[in-house]
Amino acid sequence: MIFNIQRFSTHDGPGIRTVIFYKGCPLHCDWCSNPESQAFGYSLMYDRQLCKSFGDCLKQESNYLSAGENRILVDWVSVTKPEKFKNICAARALTVSGEEKSIGEIIEEIEKDRSFFEQGDGGVTFSGGEPLSQGPELDVLLLELNKLKIGVAIETSLYVPWENIERCLGRNINFLVDLKHTDSDKFKIFTGGNADLVLSNIKKLAASNENMTIRVPVIPEFNHTFQEMKKIIDFTVALKTVREIHFLPFHNFGSAKYEMLGMDYKYSGIRNLVADELDEYVVYAESVGLIAKIGG
Amino acid sequence: MIEIVKSVKVSERISGLREKVLSTKPTVCTERARFYTEAYAQNEDKPIIIKRAIALEKTLLGMTIFIDEGELIVGNQSSKHRAAPIFPEYAVDWLPEEMDSLDKRSGDAFFITDEHKKELVEIAAWWKGKVLYDKGRALMSQELRDLQDSSIIKATGNLTSGDAHIAVDFYKILEVGLNGYLDEVSLFHKQVKRYEQDGVRKDHFYTALSISIKAFQSFILRFQELALQQAETSNNTARTAELLTISNNCKVIAEKAPENFYQALQLVYFVQLILQIESNGHSVSLGRMDQYLYPFYKNDILAGNLTEEFASELLESTWIKLLSVNKIRPWSHTRFSAGGPLYQNVTIGGQTTEGLDAVNELSFLILHSVGKMKLTQPNLSVRFHQNISETFMKECIRIIEKGFGMPAFNNDEIVIPGLINLGVEKDDAYNYSAIGCIEIAVPGKWGYRCTGMSFLNLMRVMLASMYDGLDKFSGKTFYKGIGNFADFNSFDELYKAWQHQIKFYAQKTVEIDTAVDTAIEEYVPDILCSAFVDSCISRGKTIKEGGSKYDFVSGLQVGIANLGNSLAAIKKLVFEEKKITQHELLHAIESDFEGKEGEKIRYMLLNFAPKYGNDDDYVDLLLRDAYLDFILELEKYHTTRYNRGPIGCRYYAGTSSISANVPSGSVVPATPDGRKAFTPVAEGSSPSSGSDVLGPTAVFKSVSKLPTEKIMGGVLLNQKLTPATISSDADKDKLVSILRTFFTDLKGWHVQYNIVSRETLLAAKRDPEKYRDLIVRVAGYCAFFTNLSPDTQDDIIARTEQTL
Repeated sequence: MIFNIQRFSTHDGPGIRTVIFYKGCPLHCDWCSNPESQAFGYSLMYDRQLCKSFGDCLKQESNYLSAGENRILVDWVSVTKPEKFKNICAARALTVSGEEKSIGEIIEEIEKDRSFFEQGDGGVTFSGGEPLSQGPELDVLLLELNKLKIGVAIETSLYVPWENIERCLGRNINFLVDLKHTDSDKFKIFTGGNADLVLSNIKKLAASNENMTIRVPVIPEFNHTFQEMKKIIDFTVALKTVREIHFLPFHNFGSAKYEMLGMDYKYSGIRNLVADELDEYVVYAESVGLIAKIGG
Repeated sequence: MIEIVKSVKVSERISGLREKVLSTKPTVCTERARFYTEAYAQNEDKPIIIKRAIALEKTLLGMTIFIDEGELIVGNQSSKHRAAPIFPEYAVDWLPEEMDSLDKRSGDAFFITDEHKKELVEIAAWWKGKVLYDKGRALMSQELRDLQDSSIIKATGNLTSGDAHIAVDFYKILEVGLNGYLDEVSLFHKQVKRYEQDGVRKDHFYTALSISIKAFQSFILRFQELALQQAETSNNTARTAELLTISNNCKVIAEKAPENFYQALQLVYFVQLILQIESNGHSVSLGRMDQYLYPFYKNDILAGNLTEEFASELLESTWIKLLSVNKIRPWSHTRFSAGGPLYQNVTIGGQTTEGLDAVNELSFLILHSVGKMKLTQPNLSVRFHQNISETFMKECIRIIEKGFGMPAFNNDEIVIPGLINLGVEKDDAYNYSAIGCIEIAVPGKWGYRCTGMSFLNLMRVMLASMYDGLDKFSGKTFYKGIGNFADFNSFDELYKAWQHQIKFYAQKTVEIDTAVDTAIEEYVPDILCSAFVDSCISRGKTIKEGGSKYDFVSGLQVGIANLGNSLAAIKKLVFEEKKITQHELLHAIESDFEGKEGEKIRYMLLNFAPKYGNDDDYVDLLLRDAYLDFILELEKYHTTRYNRGPIGCRYYAGTSSISANVPSGSVVPATPDGRKAFTPVAEGSSPSSGSDVLGPTAVFKSVSKLPTEKIMGGVLLNQKLTPATISSDADKDKLVSILRTFFTDLKGWHVQYNIVSRETLLAAKRDPEKYRDLIVRVAGYCAFFTNLSPDTQDDIIARTEQTL
């Protein structure tokens, strides 16, 4: 299941790219800026700013929507089968995130911007959610794209069984791998996942002669200290085959979406980082021989 | 190897001159009106062409001239900077009516003294019943007048001013000089057969040409004299030397071909000026300036007579002088041309006739000098082609980044084959230039108005096709339809009703144009403009009589995106999905989406139907077909020059409808695309505001599905960007890359970038629905502005303020 196809993406790999966002992620990072990407099924979203109280949603059978003053009220814990609200709300206040698209349909969307890929190494980027948690469908897509000679990048946390990664090897993929932290405890608390699996997968991937870039979300409270970042950089250098590291400054642009999903945002009110605050990481990374930059 | 001039600081002289023109309030100058009125009154018996030659002569010899302190390029259109001369012979009645409110206009205000008001009232009285506007209206049937009064077809600007939308043959002017033209006129004049009826007319034409060219020469010599006088009285030795050079320049170019770059540029400016004294048609364009001036530039640089810095200063002086030219339009026409532009286009780049990249050092110099001035004139266009210098493209993006919408791009890859397909010779096709905004013609060989004929309001026609031909807004049925939408059983019936109506209106636009052209030919022939266009002199004909080598024209169709979106919404929501009934839709648009139900229907129309600009074939192809219904009908008609000399004499479509989308929308009730009554319709060929939500590549794809090769009057596309979107080198590369794809692979016609200001962002925050297409660069990526939280929006607004 996907939740968005974004054309003309200029910062998720080289050239002009179409990004396929898969829905569902085995991690739930506290700072996540695409919270709708976390659940594997459909997600209901309600934007009260857009609500015109047309009332069409209340005519559908459900036990979790009720009328409020100039808005509706959602009992988020009771939401089941949100997909029945697809295309119900004319004002697009109540929407459903998530779309089942066949491989043919996805290819068709990708083909639309193909002529733009050809100038400057553009192509497709699979993102998410976690694209490598999607099962066999992705393999077929990758094969098709190889046949069509369309370049592919995958944005991944690598928090998946090694087999899922192994299946993608030798396909000329540009892996953009998140390395969030090297410390298992902190990783567990902030993402709900196991760092050892990630680190081990990164090492294996690095040894497989694949094209890989390390990307580090720089997050206050989590890894935004020189000590922690040094370990991440040192780990990257030790991989030997990785040449490039990108630091992605924390931003809270996803905060409105938490409210729309009825989710808590732990990073609410934390200010955005600016590039200057990441300079020392870049300086250090360059000093140990990496190509470093801020932003994707 | 091309050298790039790095942005040199603007000299004190130039910034002073620039400031002076910018800070001058637009006023009105009555001198030309006075001279023309006197000349017409004293020569009532003479043929019109002689009368006009005498009037021009009287003006050029009698009008106030001045040379301002520090000016390097001289010549003035009227007694003061930015004082609009009056052209009473086209239309003048509106002036006494509007003169008391000219300074209160919400846009394009003019300031006028009581003394001038009094004079204009007297002048207007003399012209009663004699002006082009009256004569042209009189040539039309009641039906055609009603159609215009109903605002379905607008041609006011075509009867209240001259034609223009033209570029003259600067190559030839610079090669033969003004004496060369006199020689040519005299040669052909001698061969006139006065024993033939046609010979009588030709005799007068050549006499008029000779009077006018000589008057032009005298005008230039007046500046020679003035510069000399000022040199004699100047206490500043440096300025004295400059004035002596100016004087000498004028002496040379009054008669002969220019000897250097400075003289060539001065002559080009004089020609540009004189065409805008002879007639008040706008979009008088300068053609391929980096090509015809290049030999002079190169020679001077090689000989050490010219520095890049001085050449740039001369160009900057010229741009300021172009801004000093002004035009006053009636309020009804002003609204179609917001911002009071003269659309004096300069074209650079493109290819040589051998198909090689034509970019040279002067192309860079012109680009940078226009970038330094940041003025609305000239309107700078770059001709793109697939082998254009990458360095040049990146420099263009740097200038675009400055945020004044220039340069715009035209595309050789579609224009040149399109022209050849129309019957234009290969060398001429490779030499085309932009005219005015985005339309194109071969300079010096093309007649007037490659676009700019009448405006057709497509949405009024679309609405009439829903009411059995009744135009509800005016209450008139201009053409009985084939039924009412309320009774239609399928989308097909509605579509047939559209085809039925649009064919009628297509013919009516030509009928109006034909009446206008007939009146212009008869009552306000241009003499000098004809002299500078091939082959008027050899044929002994003005342009309007069929003197030009080529003649293709286009009107403007307004509301392109609304047409596609309306058809798609009806097809999908009413007939396919049956989400809205015919009755509900009619009630909703008739009540302007009143009440909660009305509002809901509006949101359904907006959100549940495909919109042009999102690369969706459902709507894009529907729009293409509906537009083609108009275009194919239009192709059946000819201009008034048919069989009188020029190649072509045909119509094609055009969408470069300047700011007409606002006044055109103000006379259109609510439409089935969810647009509220009397709000603007979509501009040019751009998607409806806020409806393109998939980014620029999808817009490019949608636009390229239009039948571009048949819309040679221009396919106008505006895109908005924030400064930060193209700030880094990598971003600029990516922008160049999508432009290359749009032009080379998708054969797009044109694009221009509007770098959005902080004000726009604030407006977008207040009114997100209208700005859904606004892309901003945040952190490391691009996002739709209205999708961001208010806090983030504030953040970006704050940062935009810094970047601007």
